[in-house]
Amino acid sequence: MKVAFYPGCVSKGGCPELYPATVKICEKLGIELDELEGASCTGSGVLQEKDRLLGDVLNARTFAMAEQKNLPIMTICSTCQGVMAQANKRLTDPDHPEYLEEVNTFLKDEGLEYKGTTVIKHILWILVEDFGVEQVKSSFVRKLNDLKLAPFYGCYIVRPSWALDFEDNPDRQQSLEMLIEAVGATVVDFEGKTRCCGFPILTINEKNSVSMVAKHTSTVQELGADAMVTPCPLCHLNLDGYQPKARKQSGISIHMPILHLPQLIGLALGFSPADMGLERHIISTDAITKALKESNPV
Amino acid sequence: MAVYQHDVLVVGAGLAGMRATLAAQEAGADVAMITKVHPVRSHSNAAQGGINAALESRGDNWDDHAYNTVKGSDYLGDQDAIEIMCQEAGPAVVELEHMGVVFNRDENGRLGTRHFGGQEVARTFFVADITGQALLHALYEQIMKYNPRVYEEWFVTSLVIEDGKCCGVVALELMTGQIHLIKAKAVILATGGTGRCFEPSTNGLVVTADGQGLAYQVGVPLMDMEMVQYHPTTLKGNGVLMTEGARGEGGYLLNSEGERFMKTYAPNMMELASRDVVSRSEQTEINEGRGIDGCVLLDLRHLGRELIETKLAYINEVAMDFANVNLAEEPCPIRPGNHYEMGGIKTDVHGVTSMPGLYAAGECANVSVHGGNRLGANSLLDTVVFGKRAGIHAADYSRQIEQINVPDSIVSLDEGRIKSFFDKKDNTDTPATIRLAMGQAMNEGVAVFRDEAGMQAAYKTILELKDRYKRLGVHDSGKIFNTNLLFAFELGFMLDTAETICVSALARKESRGAHYRTDMPDRDDENWMKHILVQNTGEDLPTVDFSPVTVTRWEPQIRSY
Amino acid sequence: MKVKLDVGRFNPESEGDKSFRQEFDLEVEEYYTVLDALMQVRDYEDPSLAMRCSCRASICGSCAMKINGTSGLGCNTKIVDVIKKDGTVKVDPAGNLPVVKDLVVDMEPFWSKVREIKPFLQTKGPEPQDEYIAPQQAMLDLVKPVGCIMCGACVSDCTVLEVDSNFIGPAALAKASRFIDDPRDEMNAERFAQLNQYTGVWDCTRCMACVEVCPKGVAPMDRIMTIRDQIINAGIKNTNGARHAEGFASIVKRYGTLDETQLVIKTFGVLNPIVALKNIKALFGLLPVAYRALRKNKLPPVFHHKIAGVSYIKNIFKKLGA
Repeated sequence: MKVAFYPGCVSKGGCPELYPATVKICEKLGIELDELEGASCTGSGVLQEKDRLLGDVLNARTFAMAEQKNLPIMTICSTCQGVMAQANKRLTDPDHPEYLEEVNTFLKDEGLEYKGTTVIKHILWILVEDFGVEQVKSSFVRKLNDLKLAPFYGCYIVRPSWALDFEDNPDRQQSLEMLIEAVGATVVDFEGKTRCCGFPILTINEKNSVSMVAKHTSTVQELGADAMVTPCPLCHLNLDGYQPKARKQSGISIHMPILHLPQLIGLALGFSPADMGLERHIISTDAITKALKESNPV
Repeated sequence: MAVYQHDVLVVGAGLAGMRATLAAQEAGADVAMITKVHPVRSHSNAAQGGINAALESRGDNWDDHAYNTVKGSDYLGDQDAIEIMCQEAGPAVVELEHMGVVFNRDENGRLGTRHFGGQEVARTFFVADITGQALLHALYEQIMKYNPRVYEEWFVTSLVIEDGKCCGVVALELMTGQIHLIKAKAVILATGGTGRCFEPSTNGLVVTADGQGLAYQVGVPLMDMEMVQYHPTTLKGNGVLMTEGARGEGGYLLNSEGERFMKTYAPNMMELASRDVVSRSEQTEINEGRGIDGCVLLDLRHLGRELIETKLAYINEVAMDFANVNLAEEPCPIRPGNHYEMGGIKTDVHGVTSMPGLYAAGECANVSVHGGNRLGANSLLDTVVFGKRAGIHAADYSRQIEQINVPDSIVSLDEGRIKSFFDKKDNTDTPATIRLAMGQAMNEGVAVFRDEAGMQAAYKTILELKDRYKRLGVHDSGKIFNTNLLFAFELGFMLDTAETICVSALARKESRGAHYRTDMPDRDDENWMKHILVQNTGEDLPTVDFSPVTVTRWEPQIRSY
Repeated sequence: MKVKLDVGRFNPESEGDKSFRQEFDLEVEEYYTVLDALMQVRDYEDPSLAMRCSCRASICGSCAMKINGTSGLGCNTKIVDVIKKDGTVKVDPAGNLPVVKDLVVDMEPFWSKVREIKPFLQTKGPEPQDEYIAPQQAMLDLVKPVGCIMCGACVSDCTVLEVDSNFIGPAALAKASRFIDDPRDEMNAERFAQLNQYTGVWDCTRCMACVEVCPKGVAPMDRIMTIRDQIINAGIKNTNGARHAEGFASIVKRYGTLDETQLVIKTFGVLNPIVALKNIKALFGLLPVAYRALRKNKLPPVFHHKIAGVSYIKNIFKKLGA
């Protein structure tokens, strides 16, 4: 399949390992990427704090670009996905067609118009829905059955439900667990999997933000997890990058590697940990690499 | 033992209770409020449609409001009290607005109105369809502002009477299971209605006739208890209310043939005739085979989605949640359901009862402004007007008397009752089974249409259940938050109150207002323009007495809508 | 229909300090709510089961609890909508509040925060003889927030309160917003000053949990975001939160995408010595983070690239006055 690829800011910024890992697994899975070069930031919920219309205009611009290509947008960030999904719901609200008209007046200068047809999907959903777990599984060459992995979704891919079409796509709420099982690993379920990682308040109330990191990482450590898996690079930034601080602040000796979802898929597809950029994590992934060596081919 | 003492103690924290508390505090009294649930959980919440007032500044006339109310009451309301309520209505609504209630506005930013049943003009002020909730929270905001003592989740088990005066209460603190004495120079009962005596009912689970039961226990008369309102639009399953505002905004009632059947019964006011009339009309349609599965239909489709989603959003949510009906798309099955007790503890226009030191206000009281039938949106008005008056009068009264000394040992009576409940734990009967049997019997025999045999049957059941109640045990022996014990107490109040309803209903040998007897279908002004008082004199059965209705300006006329 | 209610219970009198779970197998009607099922247990099986409930119609706010781990009202949650494949429904007391017994929690911490925001209309000057004149639409807009029933579902699921009980929390902030947006209330300056502090609006993580669980559509987080914007518009910009929001916008305006390094610099006010000094501890705290990132070749590029068509982005910002 071919998608309009929306990598988001962080996969090229704070989590530079994510972008190349995604490109590699997509190539292997047969997802053709047509990157939306001129797309802006989604606003990440921050711009929307100040001005919802502004955020919706920026996103409508991105949707219009994908619409011109007649391609669905693929995101690789829970926050991007959620913010775009919310914007798209407002823009395509059948009760308020005048809103899209208003938004389009701001796109005119650039010769763009959004008609309201673009589909936006996180790679997580694409794998589970467009490919299907069985088909994804058939591409795997490595079975990660020695690993115990805890899912961590990221807020905006689970809330608010009005924007995320769970009723039509019930698998979305278990999609991460489904893929963890697909790679042969054991799911470590915990209530925190749909909670906040703390990233949005990192620079505002670092103590609380880091407390959240400590809470989640220590909980899954206690439950025996070898690593956490997240479809959200912002969660990764916090859970991985601030884990040393969390360790210090909480006084708990936490060591919890955090994997990007594409990295996990990549490992199952047979890529090496280096290919997937695992050495670029703050929290060492050596234990994963070691388990990998001992894991079985499919 | 801790000593609790106040000038004025208000029992109940709904609209009447909070309004009384604020008024007594403003009048300078040391006032406290005691309530079995947090104030904002009170059932005033469930009032949806609005509050009536004839605003002079709007060119309306309180005389007209009073006349509509007298007529609505089927001439059983005391006209002096009705005049006071209607005269004070305007200032009361403005006062609520100043407290912060976000009343609906017109395009000029002035208070906007909607039409309500039994009123000839639109004089109902409202907050969407959550008026009761909006008022309740606004009053609680004032409670948080002025901060009187609130005994929260304390349940009054009995009134303390010394020297023929009420001078405090005994109460169970739910969190600890402890029994306390709270002394007060004046006690204001503001505990709400009798809904849970019936099953189903629009009323919440906490509406258990506590005040009526407490007053009855100490021999204070309850008046016109036979006047039980069945609301025309309640949901079939759980009996939840669908506001009269739905018809006020223009909703239709349809029978199985798709007809607006109210044209047969009330050709002028149609769906906005008074509640007793509409409920009887619906029940007649259902009884004569023009209902659908025991219901008729409330049709709002022609009002449009936008109006429904702004002004009737809550009932739309309720219809979706409990009946799977989207009001903008389909008509909703509804039927008459138990809703309101017009009768109650007899008071004067200051909330004063026959017992010195004891006051009552709100639904548990009977002033009487509703007589045989309360008009929609007059109940919120009743609570704030007479709650305030009771608060002021009680504060004044408390300044004139000394606290009567009550020995702490008085609590041992109620401690004994609790012990006795625990001692009978081998009896397998439960409060829930007895209450259900009571509710069903009342809903069978003392409902929209009544006759001698039906009422007798209900009364017989109530007497049997009272007998069972004597043997009732409490099976949870814990102290912390023992709701089993709470329900046992509440059930006692409900059974006493249900008995007064039966006795009053059997006593009234005519049809008037909500009391419609198929065996005596006519109103009999010559013999029955009078109140019925039921009183506990310590004997097995209550006594029945009568008192005249006060007529000031409006002689009884034929009542048609 | 059969359902297994899996109830999280707590009874310090008879069972000690530890909570425990108890399962009840019930036969219920299709239309039953979680509250109906719980009442069936309490009324006919185990009278010691403690909970609060009153109206049964989602207006009194008594019965907030966790249902399958998510907060909501027992009375408007139908069993059929939440029953799991194995036939169970898991019920627990509301979170972030001390449990008293079974599903009954101590609401005092909740109310004490509501009281903190001075939850009543405050006006200056004499009251008018008649009602205050207030725009029709403004009063209509207040109906949603006024519709808050104070059930505490939002507080129960708040991810910030899980780690910091000092946070004022979604319910109290939504209540504050109801007064801020009330054209009659005249204390916005005081309210903004209070909510601008630690424990106020900037401590929200924007996780949407409160929006998701609110049974009345109050959307507390949206109200918190509105207050943030109102605070900035009132010229109060002395917080990392305000600098973060404004910095974010200015970077996207200039480049089209976000540059985390620049955002950190703007948020901590590095270019303003007074602000930077205030944030000095946090700035020093960043050094090891930056060092670790550098070692792992993870620091964002020094020079952030502008996207194609960034001039159009700039124009959109300008047209919207942002």
